[in-house]
Amino acid sequence: MRALDRALLVARRELDAERRQPDGVAAALTFAGLVVLLESLALGPGRAHDPDVASAVFWIAILFAAVLLVSRSFDRELEDDAIDAIVALEGGRDALYAGKVLALAAVIAIVALAAGAFSIVLLDLDVRLAAHLVLVAILGVVALPPVVVLVSLIALRVRARVVIVPILAFPLLAPQLLAATAGTSAALSGDASAALGWTGLLASFALVYGVLGLTIVPAAIE
Amino acid sequence: MLPSASLHDATVVLDDRPVVRGVSVEIGPGLTIARGPNGAGKTTLLRAIAGLIPLARGSRQVSGGILYIGHRPMLLRGLSARQNLRFISAFRGRTDADVVRALEHWGVGAVMDRPIERISAGQRRRAALARIDTEPEPVVLLDEPFADLDRDGVELVRDAIARAVREQRAVVLVTHLHEELDRDAARRLVLADGRVSLA
Repeated sequence: MRALDRALLVARRELDAERRQPDGVAAALTFAGLVVLLESLALGPGRAHDPDVASAVFWIAILFAAVLLVSRSFDRELEDDAIDAIVALEGGRDALYAGKVLALAAVIAIVALAAGAFSIVLLDLDVRLAAHLVLVAILGVVALPPVVVLVSLIALRVRARVVIVPILAFPLLAPQLLAATAGTSAALSGDASAALGWTGLLASFALVYGVLGLTIVPAAIE
Repeated sequence: MLPSASLHDATVVLDDRPVVRGVSVEIGPGLTIARGPNGAGKTTLLRAIAGLIPLARGSRQVSGGILYIGHRPMLLRGLSARQNLRFISAFRGRTDADVVRALEHWGVGAVMDRPIERISAGQRRRAALARIDTEPEPVVLLDEPFADLDRDGVELVRDAIARAVREQRAVVLVTHLHEELDRDAARRLVLADGRVSLA
């Protein structure tokens, strides 16, 4: 079986488990929605409506939601040592990483879609470049799981994993946060060239961490 | 080629403490039973043979695929027993594995589509052990397979081990129970304080 087929199998397993036990998605959706709601209450409609502010708050919410989702996913793996069933298989470690990245990108995309729609409606955002906004959002989402899953796997058996993962992941994700926020703000404001420029950085970021993850994960999982 | 697995001068360190120390073992076809007191390093030895933990020193060699079933069921919650076993079989490229028949044989056919967190510990154990039938790997590592099982379940495990041995598979069994199994064993290992001796 090819490496891609194995990764797709793991991704499907992950999505099946998430569908039947959707507590991670529910928590992430609730969290992201509450952050957007609290932003509008705390800043008032005038400042919350600002593209820079709305974009930053949206991506911070998505970043925390991603950590929540990944954390729940690995909690499930560690219950009953389910993860060992994959790790013991030939090619299992690579497939575990790649499959989790694919599945979590899909789940984070759902959360981002819901939170994004909620932000646009609640904050009455004026979207000048819808296609650019979608492109930035897709690449911003795709850039998240390679880092968060990598850090989660490295910290898998650490007792304080819930604390360690954000502490390790957030500094690494600073370029993603910066590029996604600036790109989203540019798309909302109608600056096409700036939006496209930031998408290039997001794509490079996702590629670099995807390759890095596949390189070091086999040795990193105990 | 006959199935085999071996460790040579293997040391495993967990939490800065050597749990397995300079162990050399060779596992071939037939039943190998590993016994020893709690904390002697039996589970760590099995996980080292399975390649689940790194060796601080020494080497590991395996010919043929390995099936490792730990002392916990290793089934993902949220999925059913059937989904779990189908996933692992498909991962190994065994699309022809008869998962339903295996789960029925192990007495969990009626609950095989329930999420595994909604079936009993004994049923989860049976579902995990059904992998012996769906994944005919030449090396089989079983860690305390009798835990949580009733008398019928114990008989099923004993039958599965006997069948695997007849099929020339190399079976390593870690258990505190059923000393009568020792007379059928090709090798008996005794672990104490991270070291192995032949009984």
